[in-house]
Amino acid sequence: MDFVCNFPFFSILLSLFSGTICSILPGRAAKVVNRIVIAAVGVMSGILLVYLLGTGESFVYWMGHFPAPWGNEIRAGVLEAGMALFFCIIMYLSMAGGAHKLFDEVEESKHNLYYILINLLLSSLLALVYTNDMFTAYVFVEINTISACGLIMIRQVGRTIEAAVRYMIMSLLGSGLLLFGLCIMYDLTGHLLMSNIKESVSVLIQTGEYQIPLIVSVALMCVGLCIKSALFPFHAWLPDAYGYSTVSSAAILSSLVSKGYIFLLIKIIYRVIGFDIFNNTRIIDVLFVFGLMGMIFGSLSAIKENDIRRMIAFSSVAQIGYIYMGFGMGTQAGMVASIFHILSHAATKSLLFIAAIGLTEVSGGSRKFIDLTGAGYRNKWAGVAFTAGSLSMVGVPLFSGFISKLLFAQAAVQVEGKMLAALIVLGISTVLNAIYFMKTVIRIYAVTGDTSYPCITFKDMKVHAVVLVLFVIVNILLGVSSQPVVNMIEQGLAMFA
Amino acid sequence: MYLILLPILFPILAGVCLLVCRKDLSRKLLTVTTGTCLVITGALAITALTRVKQDFTLFYLTRTLPVYFHIDQISILFSLLTVIVFLCAGFFSFAYMKHEQKEKRYYGYYLMAFGVLNGLCFAGNLITFYLFFELLTLSSFPLVLHTGSKEAIMAGLKYLFYSLCGAYASLFGIYFLCQNCDTLTFTAGGVLQVSAASKDGSFFLFLAFMMILGFGVKAGMFPMHAWLPTAHPAAPAPASATLSAVIVKAGVLALIRVIYYIFGADFIRGTWVQTTWLALALVTVFMGSMLAYREPVLKKRLAYSTVSQLSYILFGLAVMNEEAFTGSLLHVLAHGFIKGTLFLTAGAIIYTTGKTKVDELRGIGKEMPLTMWCYTIVSLGLIGIPPTGGFVSKWYLAIGGLAGDIGIFRYLGPAILLVSALLTAGYLLPLTIRGFFPGTDYDYQTLQKREPCPLMTIPILFMTILSVLIGLFPTVIVDTLTDFVSTLI
Amino acid sequence: MIICIILIPLLAGILVPVLPFRKRSHKEIFLEGAVILNSILVWYLLLHHSESTFLLAHFTGDLNISFRVDGMSMVFAGLVSGLWPFATLYAFEYMTKEEHENTFFLFYTMTYGITLGIALAANLLTMYFFYELLTLVTVPLVMHTLTREAILASRKYLYYSLGGAAFAFIGLIMVIVYGTTTDFILGGVLDPGKIGDKNNILLLIYVMAFMGFGVKAAVCPFNSWLPQAGVAPTPVTALLHAVAVVKSGAFAIIRLTYYSFGTEFLYGTWAQTTVIIVVMFTIVYGCSRALKETHIKRRLAYSTISNLSYILFGAVIMTPLGLTGALTHLVFHAVMKISSFFCAGAIMHQTDKRYVHELNGLGYKMPCVFGIFTVSSLALMGVPGLAGFISKWNLAGAAVNSRNSLAYAGIACLLLSALLTAIYMLSIVVRAFFPGKDFDDGPIQNVHDPNWKMLLPLFVFTVFIIIFGLHSQPIVDFFYDVATGVY
Repeated sequence: MDFVCNFPFFSILLSLFSGTICSILPGRAAKVVNRIVIAAVGVMSGILLVYLLGTGESFVYWMGHFPAPWGNEIRAGVLEAGMALFFCIIMYLSMAGGAHKLFDEVEESKHNLYYILINLLLSSLLALVYTNDMFTAYVFVEINTISACGLIMIRQVGRTIEAAVRYMIMSLLGSGLLLFGLCIMYDLTGHLLMSNIKESVSVLIQTGEYQIPLIVSVALMCVGLCIKSALFPFHAWLPDAYGYSTVSSAAILSSLVSKGYIFLLIKIIYRVIGFDIFNNTRIIDVLFVFGLMGMIFGSLSAIKENDIRRMIAFSSVAQIGYIYMGFGMGTQAGMVASIFHILSHAATKSLLFIAAIGLTEVSGGSRKFIDLTGAGYRNKWAGVAFTAGSLSMVGVPLFSGFISKLLFAQAAVQVEGKMLAALIVLGISTVLNAIYFMKTVIRIYAVTGDTSYPCITFKDMKVHAVVLVLFVIVNILLGVSSQPVVNMIEQGLAMFA
Repeated sequence: MYLILLPILFPILAGVCLLVCRKDLSRKLLTVTTGTCLVITGALAITALTRVKQDFTLFYLTRTLPVYFHIDQISILFSLLTVIVFLCAGFFSFAYMKHEQKEKRYYGYYLMAFGVLNGLCFAGNLITFYLFFELLTLSSFPLVLHTGSKEAIMAGLKYLFYSLCGAYASLFGIYFLCQNCDTLTFTAGGVLQVSAASKDGSFFLFLAFMMILGFGVKAGMFPMHAWLPTAHPAAPAPASATLSAVIVKAGVLALIRVIYYIFGADFIRGTWVQTTWLALALVTVFMGSMLAYREPVLKKRLAYSTVSQLSYILFGLAVMNEEAFTGSLLHVLAHGFIKGTLFLTAGAIIYTTGKTKVDELRGIGKEMPLTMWCYTIVSLGLIGIPPTGGFVSKWYLAIGGLAGDIGIFRYLGPAILLVSALLTAGYLLPLTIRGFFPGTDYDYQTLQKREPCPLMTIPILFMTILSVLIGLFPTVIVDTLTDFVSTLI
Repeated sequence: MIICIILIPLLAGILVPVLPFRKRSHKEIFLEGAVILNSILVWYLLLHHSESTFLLAHFTGDLNISFRVDGMSMVFAGLVSGLWPFATLYAFEYMTKEEHENTFFLFYTMTYGITLGIALAANLLTMYFFYELLTLVTVPLVMHTLTREAILASRKYLYYSLGGAAFAFIGLIMVIVYGTTTDFILGGVLDPGKIGDKNNILLLIYVMAFMGFGVKAAVCPFNSWLPQAGVAPTPVTALLHAVAVVKSGAFAIIRLTYYSFGTEFLYGTWAQTTVIIVVMFTIVYGCSRALKETHIKRRLAYSTISNLSYILFGAVIMTPLGLTGALTHLVFHAVMKISSFFCAGAIMHQTDKRYVHELNGLGYKMPCVFGIFTVSSLALMGVPGLAGFISKWNLAGAAVNSRNSLAYAGIACLLLSALLTAIYMLSIVVRAFFPGKDFDDGPIQNVHDPNWKMLLPLFVFTVFIIIFGLHSQPIVDFFYDVATGVY
């Protein structure tokens, strides 16, 4: 076994332990450590990805060299490595982009706590991505929940505490359901390792035994993860959680945390139940319908919203609807589209959050649209970046959003019964997206008579500006040369099976 | 060859020059210039009529749409009428327009309308005809709204939009015709393809009806006659004279061209289109007379009279036999001269007295005997009392109606014509009676001779004489017409 | 080469705010030079075009961004490049009264490149790409004055355009999935083998895509953005909202109908019936709204709505003759409408008057402008001898030839609309030239014709209106060749 194969394990441990280390470091040092860890994990994931692309097959890593069923396994394929790399990039950029705001939002003394939580979050995300063991997954889901909760709450404004409580309750409900599902599954199969469960499940399906409990278990796990990833109608916690937490947290939560759960769901679909078996259940139809509804209702709520952060948050509900719609199609193409959308949405949504903060800064900290009038002139970089993000969301060619829309639509056409519904909702949702995003873009470029707000130039926001530019570049890269990414996703999915 | 273009282009260009010219010409210079132009145009037109024997294709609008000129008897007839009336009314206006403003503009459009009418007469195919038909509307509506009062402007717009409406209704037909005819050149007997006529017969009848209605707008045919009584009184008197005597005749010309030269009389004869057309024409005849009878304002009364009289002509066309057709053509001439005279006399009266209502004109015959004599003579002509022009034309119309194979209209037609003639007497003669016999209580002391200047009286007199001459020597015209009428029917 | 002509305007536009121009005239010379150079290049390219496709980049899968010159591109690119230098010249003069000149010229010039991109696109994806970009670069132009009205208008414009594109996008997907290629091939690229029994769904998608692209072409009920967008400076309204942008919509529909779905597939189906009805309704609707409108530019905008549907009417007849008619009107209407818009702009520029009832008696103060306005009005009405007659003739001829009774009704709509056009255009002319008896020209004593920069484009357009009207055969023949696939 090559040395590279240790990297997934290393990166999980590294982030986990760096969290602990941060607790004794002062804020500034914790920040440095945090950055280094994220960067290191990113580099490792990158190397791993190259390695995996070279070998062309996935590998299983026995933690502590205990073989299954006693040992805990880690599994890495192209998709996992790619996802980890991507998460690191987004996380690094989000952290960098929101760093200057942190002093306003969080007490100085709590800074190191903040970085602890971030590191924990990273480790749990990595674990979700890499693990091959359902129970480990569950454990890290909980860690993830706790750290996310902390991230929301750390701002310690009244609203955030309420939001955190809400998030906590919904999340725990979700993980509880996941746990139920897991238990039933364990009852039925007697395994916790994904690959083992899959074998047993296929046997069960063939023999025709325990069909109903099996479906119930799958359904419970699905619902649990849906709640956690805020699929409509379980999205009530989301706007407050994303809307009022610190800016980096919002960016990370919206673009990574919910995506981590979704990725876990994908793993469950492919590696625990089996893609074909899953597609034969009615669950995908339910996911499809709720996905479509999410696309519409999320956008409608966003249109009504008067607060830019909450608007972006509601937009996430719609985007998650897209992803579940892709699942619901029950085809390989739909899945590819969904995974691509995970990437593109992560890149876009964090960009929007970071850009929005730049805009609110020059509007007296207000997030109301009325105060944002003309903000695009006061903070040119944020304005341009926000525009780019919006265009990507609306699905204008050149940006990543267009490709995901293209992939979704192409996937939809191949599914006989769902084609028309998917296409029409896709169209309507684009219109709705256009309405609220373009409304905002025009608002920030409208001129107000009020010139009391300061203007910000490049000098005042070097890091922020660079981050924004990098985000835009990531977006455009995904939009222009999507083919390698799509190929990678396909390859990764092939390795899953 | 190019001679045929001169009477069309020369006045149009002269008119444009007048309009574009920014300098204020002195009234004398303006009058002389315009007069010269009018005379030259008249001379050119007559030269063209007598000298040009060939067809002439100017250029191709598109491959299938040549702008093509051709002179036949119909052209000669209408062109002569145009030239005479325009010259007379033109000279009349030199005197009349003194009390109007912006004479330059008036003469500019007047000349343009003259040229366009010449073009209309010479047009050899439907497209060329349509081209000049539109231009006629556009060049003549400024004449209507010339006085610039609110009513005049509204009247001008009404005229414009009614005419365009008619033109577009006809264009609808033209679109279809151009693909179902071998050519759009006016050919006696029609050019509609036999295959098209037999296959989509009812559709083409519908098209024919649309075009009758459309071109009928210009000829003031019910139900699109409403512009006529509004537009004529609003325009200056000489303009009304040309409108009524010539420009509305463009509608008649159009119908002759479309029905007899494009569809062919045989295609229409005996169909519902003919019946409806007859009915509409007769309704218009009767209605026009009735409205005229009730109208107190002199020029408006004359305008209603025009509505009625034009439908005499249309009735003749709709009957579709030789006598009626001859009657129509004669009535075109007769009515042209008569109505021209009537409007000019009305203009003269307004010019000298400023009065517009019939009731106010007591004793006018004593004041302006020459004018009123002319008025009386032509009125008799319009009523149809021999030996004036109106008698001959109505005679032919009635004979034609009686001989026509048109069902109930055979009797109804002539009867209505007769009734309408009575009504004509009823609305025209009161002025004569009041004018010459003002009654015992008329104050002869204040009476003064107010005969207008010769520039006004001579044209009136000239046209009166012409209208009488037609009545006295109809055979000259009828003989020339007979030959070619038979080719059409 | 093809890339050059798209990039030159983009670069020139971007350079406007960057380069330090010492005098305004230098900027004018620079821009006008760039635009004229580009137009010359375009014409050179069109006249010496090769059949080969220029591949710029692979997008994803077998989708790529590529360019090719075919008949349709020649028509549209030729039209746009013919008009742009004049419009730019006009804009210099017009913009002396407006602010933010640099931003204006930045986007105005960039739009040129994007429009050419649409014209020269070799496949549906490329066209869609530039179509979206067109929306984006034109929004700042609509927003230009930054008044509340302008903001609302640009917002609406964005919603409508992006929303429309979203549905057009579905059509694009259909072509990708059910077609053999996305390239434009006259006659369509749908693969009957792949379609199977999904005819009706495809037709439905066609109608959706038609309406989607129709948003830009201001098809009813998606037309309300166009009159509102009239708040933009007149060069924008004239060139973009009467020609480049809205005609891109029509152009896209023609591409979709003739080159992607293919008329063979659509002809005689319920989809054709639907779109004909929509188009007919728009023709009449646009005109009647124009009649009620008293703001000059908005009136012209409604007139544009109606006239665009003339083009679409020709297109949805779905015969080569229909396409010929559509192309004729595409080009002729561009010249007529830009001319009348420029007149309206000249009036606004010289007098600050915006409403029809304020125009009394101006005809004698600005004879050139109103003379030209009259000519373009007559042309729009379809008076024989001017351009409008020919295009209407071709459209109606195609309708007659199609033997489709719905198309016959369409002719009636055309004529009704012509009548309404006469009413709303000539009422302006009559006001200007015949102000009435008691008119006092005191307040407009100092009004006069604008200078040569404004008048030159107007005169040139007028000359073209007349030339097209009198001698249209060569160009119509060319359109027919395009429609039958000779080019």
